[in-house]
Amino acid sequence: MTDVQILRRNRPGTKAKDFCRWPDEPFEEMDSTLAVPQFIQQTIRRDPANLEAILKMPEAQDEGVWKYEHLRQFCMELNGLAVRLQSECKPETCTQMTATEQWIFLCAAHKTPKECPAIDYTRHTLDGAACLLNSNKYFPSRVSIKESSVAKLGSVCRRVYRIFSHAYFHHRAIFDAFEKETHLCKRFTYFVTKYSIISKEILILPKLDDEAPITPAVGESDA
Amino acid sequence: MKIPTTMDDNSVSHHNGGQVGSQIGVSVNNKQNDEPSQNVQYSIPGILHFIQHEWARFELERSQWEVDRAEFEARIAFLQGERKGQENLKNDLVRRIKMLEYALKQERAKFHKLKYGVELQQGDVRPPPEEPAPDAEPAERAHFKQGRQLIKQYLQEIGYTDTILDVRSNRVRALLGLNNEETDNPNYRNYDKQQHDRCDYAMNHMARKYDYGGKEPRKSGVSGGGYNEEGLSVQETAAVFANFEFLANQEMDMDEIDDLDAKQSHHAVGKAGEEVDHEAEEVLNELNLLTESEADSGGQGDEYTVGASGAGVGGVSVSGGEGEEEPLALGELAQLTVSNEPEAYDVAQTNKEAFRKTWNAKYTLRSHFDGVRALAFHPTEAALVTASEDHTLKLWNLQRTVPAKKSAGLDVEPLYTFRAHTAPVLCLAMGAPRSEELYSAGLDGTIRLWNLPPPTADPYDPYDPSVQGAVLRDHTDAVWSLACAHGRLLSASADGTARLWAPRAARPLLATLRPEAAPAAPAPAPAAADFAEAGARAAVVYRDGSLIIYDLETGQVVLRVGCDSAATRVRSHPTLGVAVTAHEDRHIRFWDVASGRLAHAMVAHLDAVTGLALDPNGLFLLSGSHDCSVRLWNLDTKTCVQEITAHRKKFDESIFDVAFHPVRPYIASAGADGLAKVFV
Repeated sequence: MTDVQILRRNRPGTKAKDFCRWPDEPFEEMDSTLAVPQFIQQTIRRDPANLEAILKMPEAQDEGVWKYEHLRQFCMELNGLAVRLQSECKPETCTQMTATEQWIFLCAAHKTPKECPAIDYTRHTLDGAACLLNSNKYFPSRVSIKESSVAKLGSVCRRVYRIFSHAYFHHRAIFDAFEKETHLCKRFTYFVTKYSIISKEILILPKLDDEAPITPAVGESDA
Repeated sequence: MKIPTTMDDNSVSHHNGGQVGSQIGVSVNNKQNDEPSQNVQYSIPGILHFIQHEWARFELERSQWEVDRAEFEARIAFLQGERKGQENLKNDLVRRIKMLEYALKQERAKFHKLKYGVELQQGDVRPPPEEPAPDAEPAERAHFKQGRQLIKQYLQEIGYTDTILDVRSNRVRALLGLNNEETDNPNYRNYDKQQHDRCDYAMNHMARKYDYGGKEPRKSGVSGGGYNEEGLSVQETAAVFANFEFLANQEMDMDEIDDLDAKQSHHAVGKAGEEVDHEAEEVLNELNLLTESEADSGGQGDEYTVGASGAGVGGVSVSGGEGEEEPLALGELAQLTVSNEPEAYDVAQTNKEAFRKTWNAKYTLRSHFDGVRALAFHPTEAALVTASEDHTLKLWNLQRTVPAKKSAGLDVEPLYTFRAHTAPVLCLAMGAPRSEELYSAGLDGTIRLWNLPPPTADPYDPYDPSVQGAVLRDHTDAVWSLACAHGRLLSASADGTARLWAPRAARPLLATLRPEAAPAAPAPAPAAADFAEAGARAAVVYRDGSLIIYDLETGQVVLRVGCDSAATRVRSHPTLGVAVTAHEDRHIRFWDVASGRLAHAMVAHLDAVTGLALDPNGLFLLSGSHDCSVRLWNLDTKTCVQEITAHRKKFDESIFDVAFHPVRPYIASAGADGLAKVFV
């Protein structure tokens, strides 16, 4: 009855430092339908700064699913930025979703887009993304994704990026602290550039420190 | 008794022969002489020792058998649950088929009435009472056909010829085709349109025929006689199958068209073209021909005969093909029904047999990006809150659903997303008596209070900071369990303590509960906690398998019992003095909290048990496990009443939590796959 096999589980009572602390599982051995998110999270846990490793797609992996699961992961981690912003970004001070003086974004979560305060924009965008990415209509499966649904990822990426840009231009301390911990914005920029998901002109943040030059993977982004 | 010369290795050799019962009274020395081969000294202590040893061994084996038996029983319960599921499915399929047949009959009668202004003689049209189920035996089938032929003869006598049948079939097809808006098969569209045209034509045709009185029908009856038989016998089935085909979308349409094609070439049209376009053209040609002939005819008998036989060809081609298609079509049918909201019917069924309720998945709550660790129902409303490893909590109102695909049950979108935790949220408690109160805690060690937004809230309302309440930060490590009763909160944390709180008080921490362990040894981490005995005591289970009951007045340990396997959950029975614990060794154990006696232990799952919930009346127990299944247990008999496979695995985790609604008939499960499911 003894299990020599490793069980990757967080049992009730586990200490925070031991949460998810189990030996890495090779991607080929993951037989679950959630192999891709498992693999992505495992690589991020190992080293959140190693963008190359995190975004290196395993061979024979469906690219649509790969992009989709990465975007889910981004939206999930962006909750952390939203939590931090909640304490500082008030509707009274940030009445609009702005990034520098040039850009004002309208919130697309409503029937007619409207100028939500920045914190509402952030929350609505994340809630809307959660709805879309979990929509049974567009993403009924997590192992294969229709081409038409993959196209939806672009608009989610564009909106989500604005959360980064607002934080960067108006709540720099929060942005920096968050970025230092998660490297999320760098990873996101790397991701959208590598797969040419959003055009370069929209990426309005200046290059972050020690950001590696990215060469878009031409062959991979054809699909 | 015999000498256990074949005794297994673990019994020591010098015991051999010691249990020769008849010789116990005999002198041991004599015995030794009699059996030189076994030069062993028999002594009373030796014999007793051996007997004791054997007895212990038997006891051990017996307990092993009992364990095995319990395992097999669990397995049997599981398989029975599965069988029940299959039976339900089968009944459902049969019922659907009957419904379709009935609907078709109704439709036919209605059509007849509209067309001729008289009631259809249902007696003639109604299928024979011994109408076989779709998967009927061939013998039954023959019987069925005989009945059909008989009816056909009647019909012929009343002038109900294949032309009419054809029109009817076309009309039915046309109607069904119209319903099928989703189809994007242009060929099918063509076909459909032509069917329309043909149908209209044939109807004109018929109207005239009736002007001509009784002569015409007989004629067409003769001309179409060869086909008549088949045409009619499969009429009903053909229409039914047409219905299914449309539901199953294009595949079958294509088959049908191919069939039509094949048949037509067979019927002296003489073209062996296989392309559908080609076939469509052919039909079109035929149609043109017929239309021309009609225009020329001026009402002569011959033309009508041609028309009738032409229509007859159409009818036969479809029907003949269908006849052959039947087994295949049924295969499709079976799949179709499986994928097509079996839940709805099961629900109806369960309403009928309320005494033995079967729970069926109704709502799927998808919005979390990562595993759902905990869920809690609203004390009164049809609402619940889920907590996830994605650091958020979400509020769901089950009465505000979005229409989803038929097969998927109902989708619910969250009303509100609670963001404040900075790490996975691990546990939840919904406040009683103040129903708008919610507590959550997680890996970040904080316990957070929330003021529940009203169930009418819109997910895209402006941010309201007052939803966030106080934060309790005394725990120094992950908080794994919360329980709430009588305005007090009980938490269990990986820092080794369980704490009692009055969450709204100025100094919320009321007590810290620790087992009095040896100071040197690290305190075992509590895994879960629950109130017991109407809130006067707390039951806390630990990673080392122990269950400790604390008196909440004094903070002292009242009772300490334990087993070898790490505990994951504890729940107190609402009325009896029983604590139910879930363990990683697949067991659920029942403890008498007064005496500390282990009242019952059972192997409940195929993997670690992770979730426990008791229904408000204390009659049923719900358990979830990493084996992906949720099981419902009758607490009286300790038998598994229902087994539901609910979630998929992520890494080696599957189900994290299960819950009963306090007052409404809902149960729910939360899984590592990021979904929560609600069953009714």
